[in-house]
Amino acid sequence: MKKNTLVQPGRFRLWELLLLILFPVICSFIALAAGRFSVPPADIIHSVLNKFSFDFQVSQQTELVLWTMRFPRILMALVVGAGLSVAGCIFQSLFSNPLATPDTLGVASGSSFGAALALLFGANLILVQASALAFGLCAMALTWLSGSGKNSSKVSIVLAGIVIGSLFSALVSFVKFAADTESQLPSITYWLMGSLSSAGYNTLAMGCPLIIIGIAVLFLLRWRLNSLPLSDDEAASLGINVKALRIICILCASSITAASVSMCGPVGWIGLLIPHICRMKFGSNHVSLLPASIFTGAGFMVLVDTAARSISAAELPVSILTAMLGAPFFIILMRKSGGWTI
Amino acid sequence: MMIKIDKGCFSYKNSSRQILQDVSFSASSGDVLAILGPNGAGKTTLLRCTMGLLKWTSGKSLLDETDFRSISAKELWKDLSYVPQAKQVSSAYTVREMVLLGRSSEIGLFSLPSKEDLLKTDAVMEKLDLLKISSAKCSEISGGELQMVLIARALVSDPKILILDEPESNLDFKNQLLVLDTITELASEGVCCIFNTHYPSHALRRANKTLMLSPGGRHIFGNTREVITEENIRDIFGVHAVIGDIESEEKIFQDVVAVGLKKKASDPAPNKLPQSAVATVSVILSGTSMASEVNRIFHEYSKYIIGRMGMPYKEADVHIINLILHAPVTEIRTLTDKLNLLPGISVKTTYGKEMYQDR
Repeated sequence: MKKNTLVQPGRFRLWELLLLILFPVICSFIALAAGRFSVPPADIIHSVLNKFSFDFQVSQQTELVLWTMRFPRILMALVVGAGLSVAGCIFQSLFSNPLATPDTLGVASGSSFGAALALLFGANLILVQASALAFGLCAMALTWLSGSGKNSSKVSIVLAGIVIGSLFSALVSFVKFAADTESQLPSITYWLMGSLSSAGYNTLAMGCPLIIIGIAVLFLLRWRLNSLPLSDDEAASLGINVKALRIICILCASSITAASVSMCGPVGWIGLLIPHICRMKFGSNHVSLLPASIFTGAGFMVLVDTAARSISAAELPVSILTAMLGAPFFIILMRKSGGWTI
Repeated sequence: MMIKIDKGCFSYKNSSRQILQDVSFSASSGDVLAILGPNGAGKTTLLRCTMGLLKWTSGKSLLDETDFRSISAKELWKDLSYVPQAKQVSSAYTVREMVLLGRSSEIGLFSLPSKEDLLKTDAVMEKLDLLKISSAKCSEISGGELQMVLIARALVSDPKILILDEPESNLDFKNQLLVLDTITELASEGVCCIFNTHYPSHALRRANKTLMLSPGGRHIFGNTREVITEENIRDIFGVHAVIGDIESEEKIFQDVVAVGLKKKASDPAPNKLPQSAVATVSVILSGTSMASEVNRIFHEYSKYIIGRMGMPYKEADVHIINLILHAPVTEIRTLTDKLNLLPGISVKTTYGKEMYQDR
């Protein structure tokens, strides 16, 4: 027997791993430099080294732009991008459906409603975020309760998700209808388009832990996730507690989604696009698919957000750009690789 | 290791239709048990109940006299493996990844497969000749290959009992033979194989035990020869069938051919199955290595034997035996089958034209 047959299926080659890790790092570097106030690369390196007790000359203004304005925003983009990609990837495998997105269980709609409601009552940013998070988790619970009765199946949970999702969408419309058209309606509408402009260390502190825990649990489970697309009988016959595995996955992926939406509004496309790109390149084995989705998603989100705030004087909503950049890129890849399967 | 079903009954909730009624059977190491029945008889339901994937309404499954329900899932699936119908699978895993999934019960929740798991996977793939397609995607290989992949996935956990759901339906001649040969080989290695089929001839040729299931919930269980008769096929499949012999140069194979639909429930059999016959079993042995085994089998049937002659033919290193017996037809067929399974032997049986009621 040849030695190379014993390589773990799904293990990265060295250059693949390097590329995956470098991608978000390089994207972050670009994001620090680019924008209305452009910072020369040398200043960035000096400023970073200063954090490790070097002593270079960097202007006060540059420091402020880099570490108070851009850095939290980049952190948020990294975490949200990674989170949404992982959540999308999990839902696609879980429901054996290539069209599944982080919003399949109605979580994003729930969060949107929470945020819109808080904005209607004129709450401050932190309250808006808390309300979005709470209603997102509430939507997940409702979906689970209505979809997981006796004789439940994957399909019944997806159906329940669609129902709960449209229920919350209707509620969002109702809030918009009730809102004051001069002041509240624009802010609700703008929030619903998704933007990372609210990024600050406070926002991060409330949203990030959930996302990071969710990603960590799913990452540790990565080999076991390979049994998700199997039928119930098959998975059970492999000695796997299918139900527990599904609950863990739904819980993690939904918390990630709710926390992401609560920080920056619903950002479409990332959760659909990134996992598929990774499937085309790395196959369906979650041992490689999951880390690949994390790194690619994080880097991509930083790039898109940088573009969103640099292209024009007024900041563009990020969802518009994810779709405009993502769709053509996706189509090219799909035609080149001949499609994908779960 | 023995698996036993004790008076299993099953019906879906909110439905008065009893799908399985008091089904009992057992199979142990080395047995091949065929579950035979027409479409809609509940064969798959029976398998799912047997494995505990569906709950019996009453009755139970026993593994060496221990109720399945008192064995933890993890322990149970170390001894038991399930091969689902190949058509249900659609995933883009490579063949190696798919086979490796069979080791799940050995791999911790947060762990990756160990070197031992990978070695075992490769060993099984080599045995079933799957290494050449090990990095092909499961969604892109042929139906026959996929079936073999699923069998491999079931085998990597070293099961003592293998349960296959219609493993050979939807396959062409060659792949059917490949799958059935694999089952026979596994049984000879001591694995207890249970498979669903709607082909009586597959059960007839491969299984030593058969459970025949009718859509009405009726079932017959026993040695294949006693269960698969023209009469039972007529009752359960609703067709008139002829069980006959097909000869090759050195062997006779039994086959079932459906010759016509049964018109009415009361439609009688075209001719009553004879119960006893005079027959001569002709045997040619290559070498003498199997001689004692042949004698041992003959000895089991000594009460039916009315004459016997044997002679060596040294020039060709063969041994020729002619056995004449008067016995129930099923006994003669079982004897022929037993001889047929020995290596280096040619067997043919000729029946007398006169048939008699049981002696």
